[in-house]
Amino acid sequence: MRTRGRLHSVLDKAETGPIVEEREFDIEYIQKPIQALIKKYDVKWDKDVFLTADDDLADRVYQAGYELALNTGVYCTSTKRRMVWTKAELDEVIATSPSSVIMGEGDDLAHIQARRPDEDSRVAVCGGAYGIPVPENLFVPVMLSYAQEPLLDFIDNCSLVSTYGRPIRAGSPWESVACWQEVDLSFEVVNRAGRPGMAIGCAENSPTHIGEISSNSIGGFRPSDWHHAALVSELKTNYDQLIKVAHFARTGSHIHTFANNIYGGYPGGADGMAVALVASLILLQATYFGCTVNPGPTHANLSCDTFPAMLPGIGVALQGLNRNTDLMTTAFARTAGGPGTKNVLYEAGALALVGVTSGIALMEGVQSAVGVQQAHCTGLEARFTAQVTHAAEKLTREQAAPIVKALTEKYKGGMTTENRPIGKPFDQLYDVDKVVPLPEWQGMYEEVCQEFEKEFGLTL
Amino acid sequence: MSNLENVQKDFLEILLAGDSKKAVTLAKEVLEGGTAPTEFFEKCISPSLEEIGKRFETLDIFLPEMVTAADVVQTVNDKVITPAVEASESEGITSAGKVLMATVQGDLHDIGKNMVVLMLKVNGFEVVDLGTNVSPSEIVERAESESVNIIGMSSLLTTCLPYMKDVFDYLDGKDTRNEYAVIMGGAATTPEFSEEMGANGYGHSAAEAVALCQKIMA
Repeated sequence: MRTRGRLHSVLDKAETGPIVEEREFDIEYIQKPIQALIKKYDVKWDKDVFLTADDDLADRVYQAGYELALNTGVYCTSTKRRMVWTKAELDEVIATSPSSVIMGEGDDLAHIQARRPDEDSRVAVCGGAYGIPVPENLFVPVMLSYAQEPLLDFIDNCSLVSTYGRPIRAGSPWESVACWQEVDLSFEVVNRAGRPGMAIGCAENSPTHIGEISSNSIGGFRPSDWHHAALVSELKTNYDQLIKVAHFARTGSHIHTFANNIYGGYPGGADGMAVALVASLILLQATYFGCTVNPGPTHANLSCDTFPAMLPGIGVALQGLNRNTDLMTTAFARTAGGPGTKNVLYEAGALALVGVTSGIALMEGVQSAVGVQQAHCTGLEARFTAQVTHAAEKLTREQAAPIVKALTEKYKGGMTTENRPIGKPFDQLYDVDKVVPLPEWQGMYEEVCQEFEKEFGLTL
Repeated sequence: MSNLENVQKDFLEILLAGDSKKAVTLAKEVLEGGTAPTEFFEKCISPSLEEIGKRFETLDIFLPEMVTAADVVQTVNDKVITPAVEASESEGITSAGKVLMATVQGDLHDIGKNMVVLMLKVNGFEVVDLGTNVSPSEIVERAESESVNIIGMSSLLTTCLPYMKDVFDYLDGKDTRNEYAVIMGGAATTPEFSEEMGANGYGHSAAEAVALCQKIMA
């Protein structure tokens, strides 16, 4: 009943909020206020630090982000209206957000619990290909490479390059066909992995509401799976997303929500990105009332979220949120490096260290090679990320900071639009029939595990 | 170093500071000193914008600074350059070319496309921005009615790539493919896809898109 009331209130806001031109929203409600809030709350840190441990700074970033959320709200591009929440409404959203959730069914449950910075409790891990396009014949072996990893609590799907040999057109009947194919292939994966109740991040072939709604019904993806809704950068929603949420609310589905604040975009640098990130997660919860919330963000040119200068911004924003709310925040490794390179492991490791010590409830990834290279994804980088995640549970921010800095030194050379280390596709790194890593990739992974132990004292 | 080179350095700093008043004052002073409006545009405004584009490419500056700089230049154009060109009856500022930009049907992401639009504008291109979720038929119809030189398409989602192919099909169907250069970008596109579609080029970043358009118009 509460969910229905919340949904109606959100939909009302999309249809009654003040009308604003989109460019005016970008400049007057995003760009200018963020720059003012950076000054008002003195949001800055030492540029040589890649993971801050300053609680006062984290709280100031939270206050700045909260103020942005309150004064800016969310822009609905379908109605050209600015959806706004009162302070009392936002405070209620924060106070009533769930602090724990159980994903999946039967013997394959995954527990996610809100955490604080420097807390040594367990962090859940979701591994998967997160929408990386994969040919139909590779979907099952690729996703099996994740589902068979015992350290991964649940999985998130790749997307399909085609469906039954046809191109998948967004918003067309083929989107529905593709999502139903994704259902069939996903259930084959979890059954073959012996984890039939494992939650599945879905639907990854649903750019509009059509695929998600059709495949989240009888015989399809289950309410216990992990369904997605997103804010478009910066702080924008639309009817496609709101239709999905209306469906999720009625079916009682777990909702994972995410934003993608642009580093270098309207929020500016890492300081502005941190403010925007806090606002995004509060507003994700206000708009979509999900269970887990992820901030992205995305580098304007490289599309990754592991660019060294971004890490302290991500960390301080997560710290602010996890100190002041019980939101189940997540960190999501979208690496410039791809599978078959050491870079992907260094980058994912650095982000896991930042996220876990900053208090995330769930570590996600890896969207290798920024998710755009066909079939450039394997379960091995997700296994590695899970290993670092659990090792980081025992560290404080101060202990993790020098490790993060050392890792950025190892991978910063690959942070370029030219000659990016995208690695190799799945079928050149795994035995596709046996679904095991080939010796070259396995050896590289083991070398990096040893580096972590020798150089940083982390046994993975 | 010539006087205009010094002025250009000052103008760049004014643009980065986003100070429209100072920019207008400086432009007026230089023109009153005998410099032709077109010369001021070519030797001060263009190189300043080029430098700003380069700095954005490496994220030494961010989108807010670039937006502000573009707005300042627009003000200078409106208040100083255009009136001076009209008064002198000399040739106006030559456009580098006319580009139609659109995020294709099914895709509502626009930040990347907006960056390309802005970078094209600061580099002297005329841009017709159709926004997001634009149907192939509208892209082709507007390209024709606006008489553009280049059609630029963007998509973040692989499921929107078929709509890019439709644009080529529509152009072929109307027998107008050779009237436009067609370029593409966005996370879902690749050089291979661009080649497969028979596009005239692919750009990974906003800077690459500008370089591509400049090459096409050369």
